[in-house]
Formats: sequence, structure tokens, C-alpha cells
Amino acid sequence: MEIDIKYSYDIKALTFCKYVLTAPNKQINLSFPQILELRRNINELTQFSSLERIVNNENFVLLFVADKQHLLYLEIPELLHLKEELELFFHAPASILV
Amino acid sequence: MNTAVRKQMSIHPEVMDMLNNQIGMEMKASAAYLAMASWCDQRELLNSKAFFYKQAEEEREHAMKIFKFVNDNGGAAISPNVTGVNNEFESLRSIYETGLEHEISVTESIFKIFKAAREKNDFITEVFMQWFVSEQSEEEDSFRSILDIFDLMEGMPLKMIDERIPTE
Repeated sequence: MEIDIKYSYDIKALTFCKYVLTAPNKQINLSFPQILELRRNINELTQFSSLERIVNNENFVLLFVADKQHLLYLEIPELLHLKEELELFFHAPASILV
Repeated sequence: MNTAVRKQMSIHPEVMDMLNNQIGMEMKASAAYLAMASWCDQRELLNSKAFFYKQAEEEREHAMKIFKFVNDNGGAAISPNVTGVNNEFESLRSIYETGLEHEISVTESIFKIFKAAREKNDFITEVFMQWFVSEQSEEEDSFRSILDIFDLMEGMPLKMIDERIPTE
């Protein structure tokens, strides 16, 4: 199956406290607090009111990541894809905390 | 991947979001009580102003307690944006009624976090929130007791009612 590279975002753990976000055009190293910050920003941007505002205006967002060292250009499908990827990353079944 | 997250955070990410909302709620309550204290202070209602200054400090302490808890457990505590604080009131009684409504909504929010923590098996947050459950019971009781004073002293001068408000 062919994967649309435009929407391809992936987060992987490199070591105990190093993670890498693979964006279509670059790889960004992230610490855990930076991932939490990314999650918060993406969750805010994907609220219904935010999406509505984006769609009615520029139709894209520019998002700083990794303590403002990188800038991501995200259109709505990419934004939603990144949200899904982060949800998957943070998906912790109840048993994981036991 | 789940294990990687667990190594960094002891609390559930969704519960962390709720705790961050709670920080905002406590800080907003603190700002609301400060506005109430100012209203009372301007009218020389000495016991009420002392009561609300104390309440404002307590709410901030609650927010800070949660704030530190989130960070101490590997999460990211968010400094909240507090807006829309009401500074206009019609009477002292209405201030206490608004205060009780604030406390009830805070209690309901704490119950939701407690329930979510239990559902997600986030025992650390569940135990942490137990203190807040007891605290909210006391907070609601203090407001209800003051509203009882208003009922009992109906028709008396405001200054006399204020003198009956407990400051401790």
C-alpha cells in the first residue's frame, strides 16, 4: 500500500529520555517535556473552535516545536494526523499505571 | 511505546489534562474571591473582607498544590490564563451565594478527576485527590453556615451580620 508522504508523522523513542518526531521533510529530536508541550499545542489547535478559525482564515498553522528550535507548517489533514500520532504515543491502557 | 511514556510520567495523560483544567479553575476562584474581598474592603465589611482574602489565598494554595503535583510526577503543569473576573456585586449575601456556587462547581470538577483517576487506574492521582475531596466538603460547609447567618439575621443591619461572620 502506498503511503502519502505528505501526511507522514511518526514519533519514536530513541533512548530513555530522547524521542524523535519524523516529519515529511525533517527529523526533530524531542525531550519528554517537549513532547508534552507539542501534545498540548496540538490538542488546543484541534478543538472544534480552533479548527473552525483555521479553516475560515489561513487554512494552515505554523507551529513551533522543540523549544522553538523548529517550525512546522501544518495543514488541517496534517494537523489531525499528528494529533492521532500523539494520541497513539500517549495511549496508555489502564494496566500500564499499575 | 507505552512503557516509554510510563517511565517519564507517573500519572495518566488524560488525568493530567484534567488536573491542568483544575489549576485554572482554582486560580479563577482565587481571582473571584479577591474581587469579592475588594468589594467588602471598600465597604468596611471587616470580617467578610478577611474571609475572602483568606479564601483567595487558599484557592491559590490549592492550585499550587496541584501544579507541583503534576510537575513532580513527570507531567507538564500549565500556568492558566485567568480572564472574565466579575468585580461587580449587588449585595453581601449575593457574594456568599456566588461563593457557594463556585465551591460546588469546584467540588464537581474534583469528583470528575477522582472518578477519571479511578477509571484509568491512576492510583497516585486518586490518593492525591482525596485531600481535595475532604477540603471541598469543609469549604462548602463554611459558605452554607454563613448563608445560614444571613437567614437567621434577616432584616438586621449589614454591619451586624458582618460581625457574625467567622474569620478563622
